[in-house]
Amino acid sequence: MDYSNLRRQAASLKKGLFDQGHLDEQFRQVEDLQDEASPNFVEEVVVVFFKDSGRLISNLEQALEKYPRDFNRWDAYMQQLKGSCSSIGASRMKNECMSFRDNCGQRSVEGCMGSLQKLKREHAILRQKLESYFQVTLEAPPCQSWCHDRWIISINLLTDVCMFTMQLLRQVGPAGAATRPAM
Amino acid sequence: MASSLKALLVEDIKVDSMVLSFMLRRFHCEVTLAKNGKEAVDMFLEGNKFDIVLCDKDMPIMTGPEAVIKIRAMGATDVKIVGVSADDNAMEAFMSAGADDFVPKPMRLEVLGPMIEEVINRKNN
Repeated sequence: MDYSNLRRQAASLKKGLFDQGHLDEQFRQVEDLQDEASPNFVEEVVVVFFKDSGRLISNLEQALEKYPRDFNRWDAYMQQLKGSCSSIGASRMKNECMSFRDNCGQRSVEGCMGSLQKLKREHAILRQKLESYFQVTLEAPPCQSWCHDRWIISINLLTDVCMFTMQLLRQVGPAGAATRPAM
Repeated sequence: MASSLKALLVEDIKVDSMVLSFMLRRFHCEVTLAKNGKEAVDMFLEGNKFDIVLCDKDMPIMTGPEAVIKIRAMGATDVKIVGVSADDNAMEAFMSAGADDFVPKPMRLEVLGPMIEEVINRKNN
């Protein structure tokens, strides 16, 4: 399997997430927390984030219907979601959370509804992009692929050295014997 | 940085709890979790001792600032209490409740590190 291509693809996907503003520096903080003891920490956090955020969005939609114009309540839900977005670096989602809260402050129902739709769109986009990214990283886990490549290189090198040595011995052997000085 | 600090993390949102607890463990803290202010207060009532508390603001049953007031009222004046919240108005609520510090979310390792170091130095002295 061509791990180097897959690693390049993963790097490109991740770069895209940052360049397009879906993720910010906080995501790198989360990545820094991943280590050998917790090799899937980032993915686990992301899974929990989408579970939590899905629930919070659903609760908010119910609140919008059940408690019309209760901006304080709506704001409280969105504040929780904003906190989670901040914690993992979900930058565009966080911005929509802030936009929603601004609309709560201005007591604009239409503004809140608009912000919520944008938030749901960003939520879906981020989820899809991160799923693609993790799918690729699963196929080419960085440490294993490096070890695999190094192992293959070592075997190839050893084989080359052995073959070269054997060829050399075949060439040198008879000629060496002919030129050996008499004892 | 070696540390045997006992940290209490008071946070109801699981994502935030995961990230913050891993950050604390990065600095070798022994982490105890509480899901709301009441659980945090109960920990102290049960006689548990902590060196540092990281506390969210808005939680069910009991908020962070409410918990801080009760914890300080119990005589737990040595423990460093840090409010952590995405709420822009949280700082005043925490500081007037008796917290030592406030950090807006998201917490960063480069912010948490010096806090941990300060608590270690204070403990050693």
